[in-house]
Amino acid sequence: MVKGNWALFEEDFWSINQILQTLSRSASARSVMLIDKTGQLINSIGEPPGFDVTSFSSLAAADFAANAQLAEMVGEKDFATLVHQGTTESLYLTMIANRVILVVLFDRKTSLGLVRLKARRAGDELSVVLNRLFNKLQYKNEELTTTSLGADFHAEAESEIDSLFKD
Amino acid sequence: MSLINYSSREINCKIVYYGPGLCGKTTNLQHIYSRVPQETRGKMISLATEMDRTLFFDFLPLELGQIRGFRTRFHLYTVPGQVYYNASRKLILKGVDGIVFVADSLIDRFDANVESLMNMHDNLAEHGVSVDKVPIVMQYNKRDLPRVVAVPDLERELNQRQAPYFEAVALRGTGVFDTLKLACKLVLKTLG
Repeated sequence: MVKGNWALFEEDFWSINQILQTLSRSASARSVMLIDKTGQLINSIGEPPGFDVTSFSSLAAADFAANAQLAEMVGEKDFATLVHQGTTESLYLTMIANRVILVVLFDRKTSLGLVRLKARRAGDELSVVLNRLFNKLQYKNEELTTTSLGADFHAEAESEIDSLFKD
Repeated sequence: MSLINYSSREINCKIVYYGPGLCGKTTNLQHIYSRVPQETRGKMISLATEMDRTLFFDFLPLELGQIRGFRTRFHLYTVPGQVYYNASRKLILKGVDGIVFVADSLIDRFDANVESLMNMHDNLAEHGVSVDKVPIVMQYNKRDLPRVVAVPDLERELNQRQAPYFEAVALRGTGVFDTLKLACKLVLKTLG
């Protein structure tokens, strides 16, 4: 049985997926990503990005974390939204439910205003789904984490670790 | 914090290499990067100064592949060791699943190890994490150099909780994989 610090289940995953797809389409974004605030990619929708999404996720989380500290220094609770505007590609990042970061990658086919509007709406919807998930995890942890990885998971994982991580 | 995605069947865990400046944290990751199969590792990211000192963090994703239907990944991070980068260190510890504390065995760096360890405890506490709850592996690095502190002395001063330890020469790779393997296994144990 597995008890991660948090877990994402089928039903919540598809709700999230649906919201991200609607956002991607309605904002004419190139792609939309949802990243855990510790830097782990949860889901990615839209054009497959031409970059390493794992690295991207760790940098996006670090970017957000660093900016949260800057906010605190200037007396703000946080900077809930970050925008990085490039010549052709831009990023819009916003924190949802204090736990995950919504990232919208967009180009000149759309505008920051439209992205902001649609991302706000998606953020509200995502908050509902995520808060429902976190409440379930908090109050019904035992019941919800009964999905087993299999009795042999640990033995197999350890064997993989031994075979891959060596000189 | 580990994230288990039952829908995409993925498990992601975060391991942080902590320790004083120039103790060999980045060297550990560089050695791992150079030796693991290409399909196992992702891109290594280093946010470093022009002098190659870690400014924010190094990042190296490793993938075990499918284990019982779950794509299992470890994300390795280093913190900047230099004292004045504490804000960055604190951020990197957020959501940590396991820690490798790399201690510099040189006599001259003994105090720096103690200071870094205390700093790690403080930073974990600020995240509401008790140091006793996080799997830790100690690595006593630079064992090949002259003028090093004896391991029993390092153990007594730095490892009162008696976490497992390895002696290492990270530049040559000695002890690097032993440390990593144990850290990964300890983290997986916390999942189930």
